[in-house]
Amino acid sequence: MNRHMQASTTALFTASGVQKSFGRTRALSNASITLRRGEIHALLGANGAGKSTLSRVICGQIRPDSGDIAFREKPFAIRGPRDAIDAGIALVMQETSLAPDLSVVENIFLPELGRPGLPRFGAMRRKAEVILSRLGQRAQLPLDGDVRALSAAQRQLVEIAKALAQEADLIIFDEPTASLSPGEVERLFDIMLRLRGEGRALAFVSHRLEEVFAVTDRVTVLREGRTVAADLATAALTQTELIRHMVGRELSHIYSERAPADHAAKPVVLKVERLKSAPLVRDVSFELRRGEIVGLGGLVGAGRSETLEAIFGLRQRDGGSVWLDGRPFSPRKPAQSIRAGVGFVPEDRRRQSIVPDMSVRENLLLAHLGAHRGFGLAYRRRDAKVKQLLAMLGLPPDRLLDASMLNFSGGMQQKIIIARWLMLEPQVMLLDEPTKGVDIGTRSSIYAMLREIADSGVAVLVVSSDFDELLGICERVVVISDGMSIADMPSAVLDEEKLTLLAAPRTSMERNVRFLRELAADHGGAAFWGLIEGERLFCLKSSVADQSASPGFGDGAAVGFHQTRIAAALAAGSADFVTEADGGLSTLIVHVAGSRGHSMGAAGLVLPAGAARVAADRLADRIRAHYAATD
Amino acid sequence: MTDPTTTDEERPAMAAHETIAAGEGRPLQLVRWLTGRLEIRMLSLAVLIAVTLSLASPYFLTANNVLNLLDQSVVVGIVAIGMTFVILTGGIDLSVGAVAGLTGIIFGLVVQPLGLPFGALVALVSGAAIGLVSGVLISYFGLAAFVVTLGMMSIGRSLCYIFSGGISISAIPETLSDFVYAKVAFIPMNVFVLIVLYLLAYLYLGYTKGGRTIYAIGSNVEAARTAGLNVVGYAILPYVVSGALSAVSALLLAGKILSVDPLAGNLLELDAIAAVVIGGASLFGGRGSIIGTLIGVFIMVMIRNGLNLMGVSPFWQGSAIGAIIIAAVLVERLVSRRGAR
Repeated sequence: MNRHMQASTTALFTASGVQKSFGRTRALSNASITLRRGEIHALLGANGAGKSTLSRVICGQIRPDSGDIAFREKPFAIRGPRDAIDAGIALVMQETSLAPDLSVVENIFLPELGRPGLPRFGAMRRKAEVILSRLGQRAQLPLDGDVRALSAAQRQLVEIAKALAQEADLIIFDEPTASLSPGEVERLFDIMLRLRGEGRALAFVSHRLEEVFAVTDRVTVLREGRTVAADLATAALTQTELIRHMVGRELSHIYSERAPADHAAKPVVLKVERLKSAPLVRDVSFELRRGEIVGLGGLVGAGRSETLEAIFGLRQRDGGSVWLDGRPFSPRKPAQSIRAGVGFVPEDRRRQSIVPDMSVRENLLLAHLGAHRGFGLAYRRRDAKVKQLLAMLGLPPDRLLDASMLNFSGGMQQKIIIARWLMLEPQVMLLDEPTKGVDIGTRSSIYAMLREIADSGVAVLVVSSDFDELLGICERVVVISDGMSIADMPSAVLDEEKLTLLAAPRTSMERNVRFLRELAADHGGAAFWGLIEGERLFCLKSSVADQSASPGFGDGAAVGFHQTRIAAALAAGSADFVTEADGGLSTLIVHVAGSRGHSMGAAGLVLPAGAARVAADRLADRIRAHYAATD
Repeated sequence: MTDPTTTDEERPAMAAHETIAAGEGRPLQLVRWLTGRLEIRMLSLAVLIAVTLSLASPYFLTANNVLNLLDQSVVVGIVAIGMTFVILTGGIDLSVGAVAGLTGIIFGLVVQPLGLPFGALVALVSGAAIGLVSGVLISYFGLAAFVVTLGMMSIGRSLCYIFSGGISISAIPETLSDFVYAKVAFIPMNVFVLIVLYLLAYLYLGYTKGGRTIYAIGSNVEAARTAGLNVVGYAILPYVVSGALSAVSALLLAGKILSVDPLAGNLLELDAIAAVVIGGASLFGGRGSIIGTLIGVFIMVMIRNGLNLMGVSPFWQGSAIGAIIIAAVLVERLVSRRGAR
């Protein structure tokens, strides 16, 4: 509260009445924003609302046609990026602006390398260390390594350090979390809060509302190039209010209603067993039924996209098998999968889907062309289907002849790409991050589209890093962690937290697996690690040394207590061993927490009847100590 | 402003479009459409050059000179078809001149024992085979087109000298000359061949799976691969076409001068690339048209011819042509940037 009162007096940057047109397109018509020291300010808006344009105006990459801009209470005429850098304004972009072949230190001080005189690398190195330590991230970056070898999160850290090396007072984060895993997002937020604490002004551009609520103080919303909501306190808003500002109408529910259909009786269309494709896909198995939407959840880099590519024939398989409609399916190239009735919408629209020099019509017919055997085009054969798909997309027929798909918003581009595959009436649709870079208003129509596709009898497999989305649209989620499918559960029994825990990187998992194995072997029983919620247990991992001590569930199982062989122990919540009513298994259950004190679920040791007694408290200490060190 | 048929997210772009387009009448829109077509812009440039040259030289627009112009367009025009195919995929073929020279020599060597039809066939197949080798190295093994065809250029020219012993071969049957200059519907056979080949190329690039795949490869090869198109095969094909068409132009050239020379076709690749680029193709691939290339060929040939008629020293002609290539591409760039976002 104190912070806000103090902040409102010192506006660091104000822009009002900003206008900007690109050729015939008016990107900004009346945009304004006020940024203050010690504040994180969210800049929101649907795709094409002008957020990116405004943020690039702020940092001098784009010169506005008109508008008043003041920085440090003085009129500020930005002539170019150099001015903004010198004045202390920096942009941390989604697509990073780093030189991949230079080292981390060189990149951090890249703007200084442009100044006359010899660079002093020793001083730079020391300064870089100071900056990183101040952010608490010294250990995260190899200062002398090439930027090429860094992960997306590390590159972003370099960008932030670069901004700080310029003594930037105003830092704009343009969709910084798009390619980060949840853990990395947390770390970024820590950094942002520290920067706020140092009295800098931060602007945060993002599509993800949860993140806006997690980290920002104030919100400015753009719609169609205008500021429609200025300077609202985040805490006083709800998600629905924000969405209403962004899309100009209320969304009842962004995920389409779904009938609680039971697909278990429907035929399996796609069966994947122990699929392996080095280096990222290590052991993936699941089944996909007609009319079902199944999610492939996990962290960025867990091997989800690669799994889709290996199924589709874009990536060499090293092992395992796939059945389509009960027949072995091993396409050597995409054309074979397409003809067999599999469609694939890849993650990166611009790079993997859109052919920019072809008309919308030809883009729509591209997969048809791939499936078509023959010398000609046979476009005419699809005329009726084209008309039908246009109606579904809500596109007037004359836009079909538009010279380039790049004139459309991200959401419409994506719908056209999905329609490209629907053209062929596939049996299976594989979609990789179908709503990436799509604004929230259009997302709901993509969800409805997926639902419609599934209801028409297509089996749909969706990869998404947005767990909320995954749980919202999928009936079932297969969790992939470090290239292995580790769980297969109905969405109804999952939530974001559990999904995050299941998807946790294998590095800690491997340690836990070893620990459970030791535990089971040491005591001649079975050990497991899972989540207990109400009357249900989700088993993350189990290890059985003595078959007679098997608790009655395995890895990734979601079971009610009564379905297990240790129902009494699970229900008791005791700090000691609990023996089942039939005098069989004895079980100790310990609730465990990670290093930051957050819950890691429960670990258990099951002993067969007649096993030697163990001191429960010493064992519990050993288990707790292991998990507290994991994180 | 709200059009019921457009979805919400289309609105900003549409609205902006409408506010600016609203003040225009139909004629302006027609002008906009016309200037929006690259071929039409280039055609206007060609007409402009023709008018200027006919004002500068009274001989330029005589029937004889026009036939002469067409005749001069044949060799570079045919090679430029193959070059268009290659450039559309984002590649380049520097070997066309050397391949034309080599296939000419091969033809000169085999035409006596094998006869005209088989001799021509051998030349065509060797041209296509050289293209196939380049294409496989580039598309299948992923080598840079520039490097592979540069190597092929060097090898081809060196083989020219080895096979011919460094001298021209004049033992070309006169029937070839008769064939090349036979009239088909009032036009010489070589010009007729040029027209037919352009027509076939136009149809192939616009209306067949292969043609559209070539465009898709140049525009976005990843998207083409994902959509199931044969991106390896159709990236090889343009080099085969280019090699074969180099041989065709070598045959027509041989028929014209009734001799084959190890130096024939020298620097032909530069003229062909220039014609394709003047015709509006992007060297990054995906953009360009066969009609544009034909106009580009005419522009090149007209300028060279006009400079000759005006008595401009050949030393200066290179500079003139170079300046015009750069100017044409610069103007095109400025015009198309204005239209782009």
